[in-house]
Amino acid sequence: MNELGRAGCAFLAVMRRDLHVFLSYRTRLVSQALTSVFSLTLFYYVSRLVHVSGFTAESYFGFVVVGIALVTVLYSCFSVAELVRQELVAGTFERLLLSPFGAVRSVIAMTLFPLLYSFAMAAITLGLGAAVFGLQLHWSTVPLSVPAMCLALLAFMPFGLLFAALTVSTKQGNVGTAWVIALISIVGGLYFPISLLPEWTQTAARMQPFTPATEVLRHLLVGTPQSTSTATAVAKLVVFAAVLIPASLFALQKAIRFGQRRGTIIEY
Amino acid sequence: MTRRLQQALRSDASDETAGAAIAFEQRPVPGDDDVIVPDANLRSRHSPPGDDVVPLTLRSVTKRWHKTQAPVLEGVDLTLDLGTRTWVGGRNGVGKTTLLRIAAGLIDPDRGQARVWGFTARDNRSRYQRLVSFLPAGDRGLYARLIVRHQLEFWARMAMMEPARVRPEVEQAIDTFELRELAGRRVDRMSMGQRQRLRVAMTFLTEPDIVLLDEPLTSLDSEGAAVLNRAIDDLIARGGALLWCSPSGENLEQRFDAHWVLERGMLVRA
Repeated sequence: MNELGRAGCAFLAVMRRDLHVFLSYRTRLVSQALTSVFSLTLFYYVSRLVHVSGFTAESYFGFVVVGIALVTVLYSCFSVAELVRQELVAGTFERLLLSPFGAVRSVIAMTLFPLLYSFAMAAITLGLGAAVFGLQLHWSTVPLSVPAMCLALLAFMPFGLLFAALTVSTKQGNVGTAWVIALISIVGGLYFPISLLPEWTQTAARMQPFTPATEVLRHLLVGTPQSTSTATAVAKLVVFAAVLIPASLFALQKAIRFGQRRGTIIEY
Repeated sequence: MTRRLQQALRSDASDETAGAAIAFEQRPVPGDDDVIVPDANLRSRHSPPGDDVVPLTLRSVTKRWHKTQAPVLEGVDLTLDLGTRTWVGGRNGVGKTTLLRIAAGLIDPDRGQARVWGFTARDNRSRYQRLVSFLPAGDRGLYARLIVRHQLEFWARMAMMEPARVRPEVEQAIDTFELRELAGRRVDRMSMGQRQRLRVAMTFLTEPDIVLLDEPLTSLDSEGAAVLNRAIDDLIARGGALLWCSPSGENLEQRFDAHWVLERGMLVRA
C-alpha cells in the first residue's frame, strides 16, 4: 500500500480510537439523546407562545429544531480544541507529534468522529421532532440536506482547527469556545431570525458561514423561506471553506512549529 | 583514539558495513579503554549507502529555556553508531530529557542539529519519526479508556505500518512484552508497572533504528526489566542504537558501551 493509503488507514484509526473511547462510556449516547428530548420538549412548549408575523407555532418549532440540530454540529466542530487540550494533558499529543502520521493530520483526523457523531445526533433530533412532536419535514428535499450539511461542515471545521491552534499555543484555547458558540448561536440565527437583531449585528451575521448554512438547511429540511437564493448561500459556504481551511491548517502548523522552537509543545 | 578507530574502520569497511564504526564525541578521548569494537557485519535495515553517515548525530546542540539563564545544553556533541548502547546520566533537572527530546525531533535546539542517517527532522519529519522511537519518562502517553490491544494497534497505524502487518506485529508485541493477560484490559485499570510495560512495547513496536529511553525502569519489576533488556538486545542485534537517560546512581543492569554524564550543559565521560 502506498503512503496515501497508509495515511487513510491512520485517519480511520483515529476515528476507531474515538469510537472505542466513546463506547467505553456506556451511558453517553443515552444521556445525549435525553438532552435532545428535553430541548425539543422545552422548545415545543415555547413555540406555543409564539404569535408573531411570519411564524405560526408549528413553523417556529420547525425553525428552532433545525437550530438545535445545528448547535450540536457546531459544538462538535469546536470540540477539537478541547480534544487537543486532553491530548496535551495526557501526553498523547507528544506521541502523535512523534508519529510518522504527524500532529497536523492527527488533529484533522480528530475532528472526524465528533462530526459524524453530531451528524447522527442531528438526525436523531430531527427524527424525534418528527416522530414525537409532529415536526413536518419536507421529505422531498431532505436528501439534499446531506450534501448541504457536508459543505457546511467544511465551512465550520476551520473554526475548530483555529481554536485547536490556539490551544496548542496558549494551552487554554478551549476557554473561548463556549462564548464563541453562544455568539454564533445569536448572530447565526439558530433560535430566532436574524432580522430581529439590530442592523449592525445583521451585517456581522452575514460575515460568517453559519447564517447561510442555517438558512439552506432550514429551507431543505422544513421549507423555511430564505433571504437569499440557495445558490448564493451555497456559493458563500464554498468561499468560506476555500479560504478558511488552508488558513486554519497554516495556523495549526505554525502553532506546532512555534511550540517546537520554543520547546513549549510538551507543556500543558 | 575513537576518531582514529572510526576512520580506520570506515576505511576498511565495504559499502555493506559502512558506518559500522563507533564514535561518542564530546571531548578528545583519552585512552584505549574507551574503544568499543563493533560487529563489522552489523547493518540496520535503514542504513543508507555510503560511509559518512551514522544513525544519530547531535552536533553543537544548545538549548536555553530563558534568555537570562544559563543554557541547559551548551554545544553538546554526541554520536551513536550501529549496535551500541549509550548511557547519559546526571542530576535531576540537568537537561537529560531536553537532550532526548531534541534527539527525538520533538523540540528544536536553539543552535546545532540532530541528524538521523544524515538528515534532520525538518528535512523529512515523517521518515525521521519512522526511524527514531522515544519513551518519555513518567506514565503519560496512553489513552486511559483503550484496552492494550487497541492501544498498540492505534500506534502501529500512526506509525504508518503496512496494514497487513499491523495485527501480526501487535500480537507479536503482546507476546514479546508479556502482555497477553492484559491484552483486553483498559489502561486505567492497570498498575503503573503494567502501564510502563505497555509503553515499552509501544516504543519497540515498529522496530525503529534508534531508541531513546528516558528513565525506562520506572515502576518496572524485575520481570519487566528483563523484558526491556531482551528488547534492547534485539535492537542491538539488528543494528540499532540505544540512548538511555537516567539519574546518576540508578541501579542499571544494562551493559553500556559508553557512559556519559551531563554537567552544566555539557557531556563528560562518566
